[in-house]
Amino acid sequence: MSSQPTILVIDDEQQILRAMRTILGQHNYRVVTACSGAEGLALAATSMPDVIILDLGLPDMDGKDVCKQLRSWTQTPVIILSVRDGDSDKVGALDNGADDYLTKPFSVDELLARVRVALRHRSLMQGAKTSIVQAGDVIIDLAKHLVTRKGEDVKLSSTEFKLLAYLASNAGRVLTYRAILTNVWGYAEANQMEYLRVYILQLRRKLEENPRRPRMIITEIGVGYRFIT
Amino acid sequence: MKILPTLAQIVIRILLAAVAVAITSVVLITFRGFFSTSVVALLYLLMVVLCTTIGGFTAGTAASILAFLTFNYFFLPPFSSFTVAHTQDLVALFVFLTVAVVVSNLMGRAQTRLEQIKARERESAHLYDLSSTLTAIWDEKQIAEVLAQHLLAAFQGEWVEVWIQTNLPDGDCQKGPCIQVRLPENALPGAGAAFQQSQTLSTHRGQLGTIHLWTKQPGLSPIELRLFQIIASQAALAVERALLAKSENRAKVLEESDRLKTAILSSVSHDLRTPLASIQAAASSLYGSPVILEAEARAELQSLLLEETEHLNQMVGNLLNMSRIEAGALKLQTQWNSLADLIDTVVERMQRQTIRHRIEIDVSEDLPLIRIDATLIEQVFINLIGNSLKYAPAGTRIWVRAFVQDPAWMQITLVNQGPAIPEEHLEHIFEKFYTFPGMRQVSSTGLGLSICKGIVEAHGGRIWASNQTDGLAFCFTLPLSKADPLSVLPDESPKQEISTIEGPQIL
Repeated sequence: MSSQPTILVIDDEQQILRAMRTILGQHNYRVVTACSGAEGLALAATSMPDVIILDLGLPDMDGKDVCKQLRSWTQTPVIILSVRDGDSDKVGALDNGADDYLTKPFSVDELLARVRVALRHRSLMQGAKTSIVQAGDVIIDLAKHLVTRKGEDVKLSSTEFKLLAYLASNAGRVLTYRAILTNVWGYAEANQMEYLRVYILQLRRKLEENPRRPRMIITEIGVGYRFIT
Repeated sequence: MKILPTLAQIVIRILLAAVAVAITSVVLITFRGFFSTSVVALLYLLMVVLCTTIGGFTAGTAASILAFLTFNYFFLPPFSSFTVAHTQDLVALFVFLTVAVVVSNLMGRAQTRLEQIKARERESAHLYDLSSTLTAIWDEKQIAEVLAQHLLAAFQGEWVEVWIQTNLPDGDCQKGPCIQVRLPENALPGAGAAFQQSQTLSTHRGQLGTIHLWTKQPGLSPIELRLFQIIASQAALAVERALLAKSENRAKVLEESDRLKTAILSSVSHDLRTPLASIQAAASSLYGSPVILEAEARAELQSLLLEETEHLNQMVGNLLNMSRIEAGALKLQTQWNSLADLIDTVVERMQRQTIRHRIEIDVSEDLPLIRIDATLIEQVFINLIGNSLKYAPAGTRIWVRAFVQDPAWMQITLVNQGPAIPEEHLEHIFEKFYTFPGMRQVSSTGLGLSICKGIVEAHGGRIWASNQTDGLAFCFTLPLSKADPLSVLPDESPKQEISTIEGPQIL
C-alpha cells in the first residue's frame, strides 16, 4: 500500500461529502470528491483512486451504470452507499461489479472497516496472484484444491470446493446470489438458490468454529454472502 | 325475434301455398266422383286454414286465391275453364273466396300476434337475464363482456364492439380511459356485415360508453330497436353503478391514507422530536459548551448521540415501510431462505441493542427452506425483538422458536418476559398507533407491529399475540411451498485427496 491511499467519494449531498472529507482525512486518507456521476467517472480516470465510494442516488446517472462504466476499464474497489435495506438498486449495482455496500446512515466504524477491506482486496488483486487464502484457522489452497482447518484436512465435495474457492478468492467483497450462482453453477436459476443455501450450510458446518455464529462466510440478508479473512 | 318477413320468405310461403293447392287439387280430381261440389269447396277451405297455420297470412292469402282459381277451373261447370255457367255457382265461388280470405286473414293475424307475444317473452326473458347478470357484476370489463355476448345473441349480430369508460366522466366526457370488448374477438370490423347500429350508454352523468352492432340484414325492426335501446340503458346503469362503487372505494382509500398521513404527522412531530432533542442537546454540549466536559461526560454524550441517531433511523425506516405497505407498493422479492441463517444474522446484527437481554434461538438449521422476502422478514424480526426490548425488563429472556406446524405452514414464535397485555387489547396491538390505558409509555412510532402484520400478511401468513405465564408471545406463520430440498441434493462424494500443507501462509 502506498503511503496515503486515495479515496474518491461520489455523492450529490454536500453534507455527506463534508463528513467524508473530514472523517477519512482524519484517518490519513487522501479524499477526492465528486457530486455527479459524470464528474465521478472523470475523476476516477484522472485521480487514480484506490477505493471509490459511490452513492446510488445520483442526479445525473443510475448508480448501476456508473458501476458498469467503471468496471469496463478498472478493477478499483467500489463501495456503494444506499438509502434503504430493501434497495433493489443495491443488488443491481453489486451485480454490476460493485464490491461492497453501506446503508445510510452508517457509523464511522463501519465505513472505515469497509474501506480497509476494500484496500486489502485491491492489494490482493494487484499483488502476485496468490493461490492461498487464510481465514482464521482455515487455509484454502486454491491451486491444489486443498482445505485445512487447524492443520487438519477438510474433505469437501467438488461443488463445495468450487463455491468456497469462489467466495475465498473474492474475500471481503459482497457477492450477490446471482454472481455466486453464475460463477459456481454456470447459470442463475431460482431453484439453484436452494442448493446454494444447503451448500453454504455444509461449508459452515465443516469450517466454522460455530456454524450458527459464522465468522468466515457471512450472510448479507436479501443480497448474498461475504467471505471474511 | 324477426317479425317482418323478407322477400325470400314471402316467395317461399307463396310456393308452399301453390304446392298445397296442387296436392289438394290432384287428390280431389282423382276422387272427384266421391265428393259433391260443396264438399270439395269445404276441403279446399280446410287446406287454406292449414296453409295459414303453417305459413301465416301470406301463404293463406296466396292459397285462397289459388284455391279459388283451381276450384273454379276443375270443379265448376263448364270444367277446364275459368268461365262459370250458373249464377248460383258464381255466388258460391265468391262466397268461397271471401270465406277463404277472411279465414286466412284471421288465422294469420292470430299467428302474427302469437309470434309477437313470443318475441316479447323472449325479449323480457333476455332483459331479465341481462339485468340479473349485470347486477352481480362490479367490474367494467366484465360488464362489457356480458353486454357484448348478450347483444350478439339477441340480434344474431355478426360483430359487436363495446366501449366503456373506466372513470366517471367529469364534464369532459369521452376523454377518459376506456376499455373495449369486441366479439367475436378475431373478427374484422364490418367484415361481411355492412349494417351498423350504434347506441351510446348515457346517464345523467354523461356518456359512459358506446355499443356498436353489425348485422347482415339492413336496419333493425322498431321492436328490435327498442330492445337495443333498453339493453343500452340497462348497461349504462350497470356501468354507472360500477364506476360509482369504484370511486367510492377510491375515496375510502384516500380517506384512510389521509388519516394515516395525519397520524404520521402528529407522530413525527412528537415522537421524532424526542430523539432529536437529545441529539441536539448532546451535540451542542459537545461542540460549544463553555465548561470543559469531563471525559466521562463526553463519553456519555457521545454514546447518547449514537443511540438516539440509531433510534431515529429505525423510526424513519418504520415510517418508510409503513407508507410502502399502505400504498400497496410492497413488492415481495421472494427467494429460498434458511430461517435459521436469517434469524442468526439478525440477532448478530442487533447484538449491540440486545446486550441487556438474553436472546435464545431455538431454530434448527434443518428446518425446510422457505420462500420469503428476506429483507422484509428481517424487518419483522427487528421490530418484534425491538418491541420486546422496549417492554420487557432488562435481564430477561427473549426466546425465538420456529417449527413446522403442519406440512403447509412454518410457525415462528417470539416469547419475551414483558408485561401481559389485557386480553381485549391483544388482537388490536397490530393496528397502527394502537394504545390502551395502562400501556407503558415508550418512545415509538406505534407502527412497528402493524408493519410486521403488513409484511407477514403480504407473505400469506398470519400474526397474533398471546399472554404466557410469564410474558408475551408473538406468533406468526409463513407458508411452506415445497418439500425440503435437502433430500433432493445431488449426491456428491468428496473427491478431495488427503495431503498436507507446509505450514500456514498469511496474506
